[in-house]
Amino acid sequence: MKHAHAVMLLLIVASATSCRQRTADADDQASQVAARKHELVKRLAKADADPKKTDPVAMWIMPKELKEISGLALTPDGNVLAHDDEIGRVYVIDPRGGLIAKRFNLGESPPHGDFESITVAGNDIYLLASNGKLYEFQEGADGENVPYSIRDTGLGKQCEFESMVYEADSDWLVMPCKNVKDKSLKGQIVVFRWKRQGPDSSRVSMFTIPEAQAIGSNPWKYLKPSDVTIDPANGNYVMITSHPDKAIIEVTPGGKLVRSQPLPEGHNQPEGVAITRDSILMISDEATTKPADITLYRWHPIRTIAQKVQ
Amino acid sequence: MPVLRQIIDVLAQGGDRPVRRLVAYYVFIGVIVFALVYFVPSVGHLLAGKGLEPTQNTTQLLQDGLSKKEAAHAVLAAGSLAELAVATLLILLGTLVLMLPVSWVYMSARRVQGHNQSVVQTLIMLPLVVAGVIIVVQNSLALAFSLAGVVGAVRFRTTLRDTRDLVFIFLAIALGFAAGVESLAVAALLSIFFNFVAILTWRYDYGRNVLTPSASAQWAGPLEALASPTGDHIVPDRDLVLSLTPARADVLADRFERVRDVIGKKKKKARFNAVLTVTADDVGQAQSKIESVLETTTKRWRLDEVVTNVGKPSEIYYLIRLKKIVTRDDFLTAIRDSAGPVIATADLEIGEPAAEEKSDQA
Repeated sequence: MKHAHAVMLLLIVASATSCRQRTADADDQASQVAARKHELVKRLAKADADPKKTDPVAMWIMPKELKEISGLALTPDGNVLAHDDEIGRVYVIDPRGGLIAKRFNLGESPPHGDFESITVAGNDIYLLASNGKLYEFQEGADGENVPYSIRDTGLGKQCEFESMVYEADSDWLVMPCKNVKDKSLKGQIVVFRWKRQGPDSSRVSMFTIPEAQAIGSNPWKYLKPSDVTIDPANGNYVMITSHPDKAIIEVTPGGKLVRSQPLPEGHNQPEGVAITRDSILMISDEATTKPADITLYRWHPIRTIAQKVQ
Repeated sequence: MPVLRQIIDVLAQGGDRPVRRLVAYYVFIGVIVFALVYFVPSVGHLLAGKGLEPTQNTTQLLQDGLSKKEAAHAVLAAGSLAELAVATLLILLGTLVLMLPVSWVYMSARRVQGHNQSVVQTLIMLPLVVAGVIIVVQNSLALAFSLAGVVGAVRFRTTLRDTRDLVFIFLAIALGFAAGVESLAVAALLSIFFNFVAILTWRYDYGRNVLTPSASAQWAGPLEALASPTGDHIVPDRDLVLSLTPARADVLADRFERVRDVIGKKKKKARFNAVLTVTADDVGQAQSKIESVLETTTKRWRLDEVVTNVGKPSEIYYLIRLKKIVTRDDFLTAIRDSAGPVIATADLEIGEPAAEEKSDQA
């Protein structure tokens, strides 16, 4: 019986210590976030001092539930929305403090699908499936199951999508193609734009960028956009590609290529991109040989006036 | 294993009762798991399982990938290759740890003596394979169908001797499934509950027909006879009894059959009183030399058995009855003189001195 008593005592002591540790962790969280934000400011200043360097200014390791992190989208309050590739659940992340602020689900039982991108359009949030279907909903509280509706862009027959961003000025959803089904468009980077409202005849527009032009002198085979965002500084579309070549491409809304360069080293499978108003580039990577993460860089916008196409 | 046995001895306070030893084992494993989860909290996910893992609805601080301090943890963070490797290793180790007591119960808590060694080894290996398969398949329907196709090409047909063996195999599969979906807690409960039920049903002979003699009753008679035909020794050698698998019992019966002629029927003089054992490379030549000696030194003899070996000398056994004037030494000297160059060894077991010794003791 002596042994039994000793084991019981050990279990009780360990449990008590564990509880105390967790409370201390919760108290410590706010101060850690503050410290991280302070550190980020210092790193950004350092990056500004040497614009040629492409070192990350922060990197946040994602939890297991986000190991297939796909799209990124900025919210008006400076947070970033992220989602998993397979399930309709949205995560709100504070990108400067490295904190998951909250999570909410689409419906009581989150839908399963091939979710590829997310964007914020005013009060609405859109989650894009690879077949061109849009899941429309609004931001919910932590743990809330928000109602949603499904809208079909009808573009799934022409294209497999992996990226989308909302252009507020024109009310367009900009949706570059990952794989185009029309063979005549082979060798082109195809970008669809879909208006949320309006007559069907003027709802969709498309422009293309010659892939060879985007590749330029780089040793790339072909470019398949895995996400797109809009640079708030100039309104250009900034796309990243994941497989087989990791690149960052910037085009004006008029379809003129203004930037084409390799992504910084260390991105195994970049799937999401976002740029903040104060020029921080965020790239999310799915887990591969390393865990999923979001990496932050100082972004240097191209100072051109965007030419808009109506 | 001796270390584990010692630990269980300490925890079971030296008791050899199966229930007590099982409790000791599970307590020991429980303490280790508790310590592991305490110091490496992410191990807890393997216990709970993905399906049982609730969505965390509180803020969560993410690991800093640029911090050297946290980078070490990041290597093992969710989704990384290292995490996968460590998780798989822990799952397989957990499966092994949980199946060990099941195999012990299988070997010991049986209605009839003897167990199938291949089933024991299957019990250890099968859940590891099942867990591995589940880890690979995960939620992929395509992989599951592919696996069904591959497995369909392999035929598993075997007849198990005891229905209970089948239940143990089912348990092994279920445990492997639970471990594979990272629900080691379910696997542990399955192992614990199953083992205690198996032990208790065996201990109390649950379900026995009152008209059927109990397992112990079935064995009591034969074992008593084996221990002592005169009834002097009621309890036979315990280790001998426990080691009597059907195969070994057959060998023993065969040996009894062979020496019965030596012993002879009750109250009758034995026809033979000794066994000559000779080893030789050339059996034919050795036989001719030995048998010429047997003709002159024995009242009667009979070739009992020739065991032909490859890579070592063959064995020749003779049942003999020596002439009264021939001693053991004289006999062996004659054998060696005659067949020395062609035999490796020669030995003579005489029955009568043993009988005399027995009568002296009485």
